[in-house]
Amino acid sequence: MRGRGEKPRPLLKRDKAMKDSSITHKADCQHTTEMLAFEHADLGYGRRTVLGDLDLVLYEGDFLGIVGPNGTGKTTILKAMLGILKPMSGQVRRNGMARFGYVPQRQFIDEVFPLTVTDVALMGRYTRLGVFARPSRRDRDSVLECLRHVGIADLATRPYRELSGGQKQRTLIARALAAEPKVMILDEPTNDMDIGSEHAIMELLKHLHDEDNITIVMVSHLLNVVVNYAKKLALIDGGLRMVGSTTEVLSSRNLSDIYEVPVEVASFGGKIVVLTGGEDA
Amino acid sequence: MLSVFKDSFLQTALVASLIVGAVCAYLGVYVVLRRIVFVGAALAQVSSAGVGLAMCTGKNPSLVSLILTLGGVAAFSVKSKDRRTTQESLIGIGYAVASALAVLFVAKSAQGEAHMLDVLSGNILTVTSHEVWWMTGVGLAAVMLHALLSKQFLFSMFDPETAQASGIRAGWWDLLFFLILGIIISLAIRLAGTLLVFAFLVVPAVTGLLLSQRLGRVCAIAVGASAVATIIGLYASVKMDLPSGPAIVAVLFAVLLVAWVIAKIR
Repeated sequence: MRGRGEKPRPLLKRDKAMKDSSITHKADCQHTTEMLAFEHADLGYGRRTVLGDLDLVLYEGDFLGIVGPNGTGKTTILKAMLGILKPMSGQVRRNGMARFGYVPQRQFIDEVFPLTVTDVALMGRYTRLGVFARPSRRDRDSVLECLRHVGIADLATRPYRELSGGQKQRTLIARALAAEPKVMILDEPTNDMDIGSEHAIMELLKHLHDEDNITIVMVSHLLNVVVNYAKKLALIDGGLRMVGSTTEVLSSRNLSDIYEVPVEVASFGGKIVVLTGGEDA
Repeated sequence: MLSVFKDSFLQTALVASLIVGAVCAYLGVYVVLRRIVFVGAALAQVSSAGVGLAMCTGKNPSLVSLILTLGGVAAFSVKSKDRRTTQESLIGIGYAVASALAVLFVAKSAQGEAHMLDVLSGNILTVTSHEVWWMTGVGLAAVMLHALLSKQFLFSMFDPETAQASGIRAGWWDLLFFLILGIIISLAIRLAGTLLVFAFLVVPAVTGLLLSQRLGRVCAIAVGASAVATIIGLYASVKMDLPSGPAIVAVLFAVLLVAWVIAKIR
């Protein structure tokens, strides 16, 4: 397995095409292709609205971090992005040409299933197959390539449940990659990880975004992690409080308002650090 | 050993047990993994209540049992959104009420309580070849359908949210699995009884899970364990004049113990 600080391997054939297309977009029309858009969307469950009148556009090439206090609708917005949750009113438009990959919280995966890393990653290919079709040699090769790309090819035959937290997360990212997505949506990808694994996973996501031109959306409550990688931030608090580039959104005042505690934003060794406490903002 | 099975009714019983065992053991792996073991028990009781109702009303037991079981499938597969109760409690209520109804129906039926014992513990020795053919056909169709669609069933059970996000309608696949399970249980109950069917659903699957970390092998071990237990259990029941269903369950448990020891030693 690749060491934590080691750079991920570049993807092969499929991804070369993606890279080529990304060059065009980067040069000509970056931030013009809509991947997903919320238009006056009210999101909620039953008759209870969790997020009201949501307007948000995700463009190709974005690295969007969705942050906000617990219970304010981060997961709700993510479910609507994935199409699992229909808006109560308004609309959510998804780019029909773009494939979406999803990486759930690994804690929600039931480990009683006797599945290998390859078995789990192969699930990413299922929607590409016919109803009765079995995964082909090509599917297996593609999955192995994805495992290699995230640095766990040597774990391909290991039982999923025996992996460490970081390895499980890489397996789930490989599964999302196996669907050949243009957009990858991740729910708390570094939850309950030590700082080494956390750094390695975030570097992997950075690589997927920068080198493979995958649009990334991640929900996280770990502000210090998100703000150092996401190019855009959406502050959620029962609605979309603010969205923009990370530097625009990330201010002591904005964060203090939304978290209702004094928050300081500082820089240390080239990294952004978010601190709580001190004088009231 | 083979000389014990020279009578044709014993041969029919052996084939019936092997088929019921194989089908239930295969589906049982997914029942255990999906953590719906108690659904198997509740559906078996609902099916028994159906047999009791049919005996009481003079209707076709297989048909009434199937209808009630499918009703149970519909009720148990719905995920309650009410946070005050759980799906487990609904299944528990279903189990208790169905068990009581089965007894009440049979108590009021002309055939009386002697027949009740057959329904609960099963009397595989009285199975007809016609019933075996039915079970073989439906069981084979159920296993083949499940195996052909196994990737959707597996994804929906393993990670329903991601399956849903990938366009696989996890709720529908769940319901289809429950339907297959319900049909098999209602048929198998008529041949082998509640006790044996429930044991076939759970014990071989756990045996397989103890011995392997690969899903395909787990299914193969489960089917193999059910076959071994069926042959030894039926042989012992004839030789020692024991009721066949409980004898097979006892051997299933012995096989499970052996698997547990092997898993501990490895």
